[in-house]
Order: sequence, then C-alpha cells, then structure tokens
Amino acid sequence: MTNKKIAPALLLSTAMLAAPLAAQEAALPDNMEKLSNMQRTDAKFTVIEQDSERADALREIVPHINVPDGFEVSLYAVVPDARSMAVAPQGTVVFVGTRKDKVWSVVDRDRNRMADEVMDFAPSVTFDVPNGPCFSPDGFLYIAERNRVLTFPAAEFFFEGPDPAVGVVVKQGDLVPAEEESFNHTARVCRVGPDGKLYISLGQPYNVQPQEKLEMYDKRGIGGIIRMNTDGTGREVYTRGIRNSVGHDFNPANGDLWFTDNQVDGMGDDIPPGELNRQTRAGQHFGFPWTNANVEIPEYQDVPRPEGVQFEEPQVEMDAHAADLGMRFYQGDAFPEKYRGGIFSAQHGSWNRTTPVGARVMFTTLDEEGNAAGTEVFADGWLDERTGEYRGRPMDIAFLRDGSMLVSDDFAGAIWRIAYNPDAAGQ
Amino acid sequence: MSRVLISVFLGGLMLAGGASAQVEGDRAEGKRLAGQCRTCHGLEGLARLPVAPNIGGEPAAYIRAQLAAFRDGTRENEMMTIVARSLTDQQIADLAAWYSGHKATAVLTADPAAAPEQCVACHGADGIAVIDEAPNLAGEANIYIDTQLKAFRIGKRQSEVMEPIARDLTDQQIRAFADWYGAVKIEIEMVE
Repeated sequence: MTNKKIAPALLLSTAMLAAPLAAQEAALPDNMEKLSNMQRTDAKFTVIEQDSERADALREIVPHINVPDGFEVSLYAVVPDARSMAVAPQGTVVFVGTRKDKVWSVVDRDRNRMADEVMDFAPSVTFDVPNGPCFSPDGFLYIAERNRVLTFPAAEFFFEGPDPAVGVVVKQGDLVPAEEESFNHTARVCRVGPDGKLYISLGQPYNVQPQEKLEMYDKRGIGGIIRMNTDGTGREVYTRGIRNSVGHDFNPANGDLWFTDNQVDGMGDDIPPGELNRQTRAGQHFGFPWTNANVEIPEYQDVPRPEGVQFEEPQVEMDAHAADLGMRFYQGDAFPEKYRGGIFSAQHGSWNRTTPVGARVMFTTLDEEGNAAGTEVFADGWLDERTGEYRGRPMDIAFLRDGSMLVSDDFAGAIWRIAYNPDAAGQ
Repeated sequence: MSRVLISVFLGGLMLAGGASAQVEGDRAEGKRLAGQCRTCHGLEGLARLPVAPNIGGEPAAYIRAQLAAFRDGTRENEMMTIVARSLTDQQIADLAAWYSGHKATAVLTADPAAAPEQCVACHGADGIAVIDEAPNLAGEANIYIDTQLKAFRIGKRQSEVMEPIARDLTDQQIRAFADWYGAVKIEIEMVE
C-alpha cells in the first residue's frame, strides 16, 4: 500500500525531467500544430469500476481459456470496447483504443499485474474511432483515428489531467478523402518504425473496391500502409495491395515489417486464407484486389495487373475468415526460449462463416533468415464450439515489462493477461 | 416543418415499400436465418459490436427496406453487401418479422426538451422510431449514427428525407445528435 503513495511522487519527478519546460503540461515540438478546435473545456473523466460484478463475470470466462502448460490466464482489466494497445515506455500505463470515441488509460500502480485504475484519456478531445495508439521510444503517444492522427507528448506522465497537450500530425480529413470514410474498415493501427517514421494502416472501405477507385487508392495508400515523419511531413505509400490490415509490427532482429490482412468475404467458408505477411522493402505489392494469397478475386480476373509489379505471397496462410488482427513480436524473456523473437497474433473470429472459427491467439516462429517457420494455436477457448457463440474476441497483443502478455478483447470488454508461471499453473 | 417532412417521407415510403410489402414474414424461419446475423446484431437484435446497429424491435418496414437496399447495391457496407446479396424477398420478410417482433425499450434520463429538434418527429426524443420508415436510434454507438449522418450529408447513403437534413450539418452538430441518442439506454427483450 505504501507503493501507492510513492508512485505518484516518482512519476512527477520523472515528468519534470522529461519535460522541463512545463510543469503542468508536456511541450509540443515548435513545428507542431496544436489541436485547438473541438476541445471541450468542461471535460470530466469516465472511470471504469474494476472491483465490480462485471469483473466477476469476466473472471468466469478465465477457466475456459486454454494455454500451453506452464502458462496462466487472468483478468487484467475491465476495459469496454478494448482494441489496439500501446504500453508506455516506462510501463506504468497501457493506452487502449476503441472503435467508439474513447481511448482508455489502464494503470497498474502497485504492480500486482491487475489494473487498479481505468479511465478515459484526454476527455477534452472529441475522438472519432481512435482505434490505434502507438508510442515512439521517446514517449510521444500517437493515436491514429478514422481520419486524423494526433500526438500527445509524454502522455505517460500527463494522462491524469483531463486536458493534456495535443498536437495534430494529420489533420481531420487528410488521412483519406471524407467520402472514403466507412466504419468497419477504418480501424487504424500505427507503429513508429526503426527509421523513426510513423507507419499507419489504411483499410479500403469495400469488400472488394470498384475498379474506378483503383488508381486513387493506390496513390493514397488506401488498401495499404503509409509512412510519414512524426510531424506529418514526407507521407508516402510503404505497402501496396492489401485489403484491410489491422495489425503490424517490426521485427526487432532485422527491421522487417510484418502485418496481418483480412481477406475477401463471400467466396465461401474456406477461401481465401487469412494472411501474415513479411515486407522487406518499400513499395512491395501484396496482390489485392487481384489476389488473396493464391486465390484470384473474381471481380478482377479480367482487369490488367499493374505493370512490372510482382505480387508478394504471404508467409503464413491462416484459417479463412478467422480475422487476423493485432500482432506483436515477443521481445521479453519471461516466456520459454521457443517464443522469443516470434510473432503472437490475435484472431478476432469469423462473423458469418457457417461454422465459426477463430477467437484465438496464434504463435508463429521465425527461422534464421527471418521467414515464418511454423504457426500454432497459443491460446483458445473464447469461442464456445458447442453453441458457436463467443465468450470473447481477441483483438490485439501487447507485452508488459515483465514479459507477460496482454490480450485485448472488444467483445467481452476486457484485457486478459497470460503469464508464464510453471510453479503456480495447473493448481 | 416536421409535418412537411413526415408527409414527404410517407410518400417516398409507399413507392419504396411496394416490392416486398406483399410477402408475409415467417418469424420461425427468420430466427433460423438470424444465425448469420447474431455475431454482430445478437439473436434479439442488440448490437454486439459498435459497427452494427441495434435492430431488435425496429419497424419491420425499415428492416425490409435496408436489407433490400443492401441487396440492390443502393446502400453499401463492407459486410452487409455480402450477406444481403443472396437474400430472397421471402427471406428479407422473414428476417424483418423476427427482428421487429422483439420489444425495445428506451430509458431517457436527460430532459426530452433538449432532444435534437430536427430528429424527434421521426425518431422520437428517446430514439424509438415514431414512424414505420425510420430506425430506432436509442443506444446506438454514437460513431454509428455519426457515420450514417456523414454518409447522408455527402449523398453516399441515399434517402430523400435524410439527405436534405444532413446536408448543412457541421461535424460538431452531427456528433451532438449522435451523442444524444447514443446516451439513451436501450433494452431489448427477446420475444419468441
């Protein structure tokens, strides 16, 4: 309990060091535009009760979740609509996006691996599908919304104020043209790459885009991943030919970009496969809308393919319609050796497959050349296979500083924690 | 002004509703078909994720019209375009019968006088539709309503009634309307 008193004091002194110019607010870089309009002045926090009946009900799901021997599952936090996650550099706070209008800050001050505080972040800001938070190594939080990108300097230290400093990286309406906004394929994710640039996924807003949109989409990076400097300048299309990617991460070993992709609906229960892709250089094309893996998309059979472009094949073909979303490389050392340097990815689960599939955490191991060398189910049980109903739907993967895993779940409204603890597990 | 809107609306409805209105929906068959809807909309029509609207207890005419629009391609959505394209008139009637037959109750805690003036004539202050051709808005994710209003504003989603209303709305007005209905609590009781 004394920890609780010491923690804020520590926080404050670190904050002073990190942002010496302002005692109340972190400083934005000089060239950064401030968000001034659409900020509420009467902002109040929404606090999510953690010691609640809801939490007890969620804990009843835990025994259904299957993990390998030696691992244990627990409820980390009650977080409504929990989507993509970003663990702050000091590890104090996990920022969690939603497909609604909130970003949550999830705090475990006493480090008992269970959140003590969950409240909305920056309630002064009117968010619009703030699905994708990500951090730069120097502590800038970026939030990729449906059609805007914001940044919050030293968010880890200033999240307790309702009105933290906020800068605009990409202005409202400049990520994609307003008429290309949809709701479903507009859950953005972001990462700051090893080159210091900000990488943002842009799903295309159709099942299969119409031909007349092809050229414009290719040029803007819709149905791709774009990158830019962290002040929003120098935007370019990095990844081409994908449909709706909602998860990417860089291989810490060599800087390759890996990403999941969600494939075409309406071609039957068993095609096309879900994808896990590896990108080794800028501009590579992954085939969509002509192909998903080796499956040709009927609408584009007679449409000429882009000249001089070779389609990259996926590294891993996942179960069709399992909805591979968030992914992350394992950089900790708490899990057994076989997991280190590999990829954990979340399958959200199918939505209209005759027999539902997914709602799992998958693990993909890499070989010495950095290629996928095998994929297996790491955790499942969120799908009740008897009734076909979901207990939960994993969306993203993150890791705490102790090397344990967090799994966000926007169906149950929870974050699950999976830790390696061979002494305690199985009791 | 509201009276004018309603009569415009009704006129449009007669025309639009014609094709499938004769088909009688079968609720038992609708319940079976709803197996492919429930991951997003729930079996009773209470949305399971923010991109889907609550459809339980919604007017049958509205559900029919929207499924037909998704099928015909006049309304587009990444998911609904796929599921609706193979539905027959009979299946649309069955699904509308199943989902409209549940009981939706809205609990409005705010002062109804503060409800958005442009919306209440058709959608009610509490977001329970007043006329057959309008959807319930109670308890929808605010972003769902926001997205629909923006689509009406640029004509991407078509409606003779909604397009003119949405045309001059600012982003802030749209969000304020969406927040009003999003804040209403909805309960949907399954009726077998």
